[in-house]
Amino acid sequence: MIRLTDSAWSPYAAGIVIGLLQIPAFMLANTALGASSSFVTAAAWIASIFDPAAAQIDYFAKHMTSDKYYWQSALVIGIAIGAWLSARLGGVKRPSFAKAWSELTGVKSLGGRMVMGFIGGFILLLGARIAGGCTSGHGVSGMAQLAVGSTVAVIAMFAGGIVTALAFKRA
Amino acid sequence: MTTLMLVILGLVMGVVFGVALEKGRVLEPGVLVRQFQFTNFTMLKMFFAAVATGLVVLAVLNGLGLTALHPKAAVMGSTIVGGLLLGAGIVIAGACPGTALAQIGAGYKDAWAIVAGGILGAMVYGYNIEAIEGLLKKGDFGKITFDGLLGMPFWLLALIVAAALAGAMVALEKWRPWRADMAGLPGGDRLPPEGEAPMLSGTAGHKA
Repeated sequence: MIRLTDSAWSPYAAGIVIGLLQIPAFMLANTALGASSSFVTAAAWIASIFDPAAAQIDYFAKHMTSDKYYWQSALVIGIAIGAWLSARLGGVKRPSFAKAWSELTGVKSLGGRMVMGFIGGFILLLGARIAGGCTSGHGVSGMAQLAVGSTVAVIAMFAGGIVTALAFKRA
Repeated sequence: MTTLMLVILGLVMGVVFGVALEKGRVLEPGVLVRQFQFTNFTMLKMFFAAVATGLVVLAVLNGLGLTALHPKAAVMGSTIVGGLLLGAGIVIAGACPGTALAQIGAGYKDAWAIVAGGILGAMVYGYNIEAIEGLLKKGDFGKITFDGLLGMPFWLLALIVAAALAGAMVALEKWRPWRADMAGLPGGDRLPPEGEAPMLSGTAGHKA
């Protein structure tokens, strides 16, 4: 059996665990697994600190008041806790940024990686919100529901990823 | 369910999700970028396993009438443009929205910048939603699904697709064992011994 103290699991075991999470998602939370809406919830609360009018925008208001988004915000916080717990129990230590970055891009400083990460994160969530879902919502959940739109989203996601990765070194 | 119960449920499910992302190494930026360069297949394998498992789960739950499905609408303009940006973002950030949080937990400091950039991206979208939708909300086919288009029961097509994905995983694993792709990753030098746990050995015969 898989154990929490293993340093790693096969991607199949990890994928099955994630797929099984659809049971409580559909049966208890009455929604599908997703992650990117929680960024709107965070954005809406932060925006409303500086701009009282932000809460008047329907899209923000929806993400600030609906239970579904509280559930999803708790989910992503749980993801961080789970990854921390798993790395600790598995005895896996990581540097401040992945060594793959210097191999793939030549970026060697944490500062440089943070600038790149910030820009990447911006594009990531802008894209996810335009598409109406991310790798979880469209990918894992949408395809498991045989949704046509989600399948198109995943194909477009791969196309965008493949083209962008051409700019990186193959190492 | 009360809001508090939903938050507790979300936290517990998130912990399980985070453990799976860390153990499966799909939170590693190198794994994601190299999937798009087709030199590492960890992400695709996990994705297939998660989708196939979800298909079987939903075939049963929906087939028995225990749950309704929540497919998203197929709006071609925004889905394609958003999907392309999402893919580019995954490569530049080295993370998906969910795995960015897993990276923070696993100790990658640059992931804080990914999350900050992501919140700004979501904010810019929210403030400009009308302009963006006006531009991209083209080709709206509604919440169409493949089973609906083919006039098949969901559970039947779901099980067929799950079986096809299981077959694809067997082939992928034969061609490229998962252990090979773990070499060079954090903790990749201490993988559980092969054969000790069949489910871990990735022989993939077990259907997801």
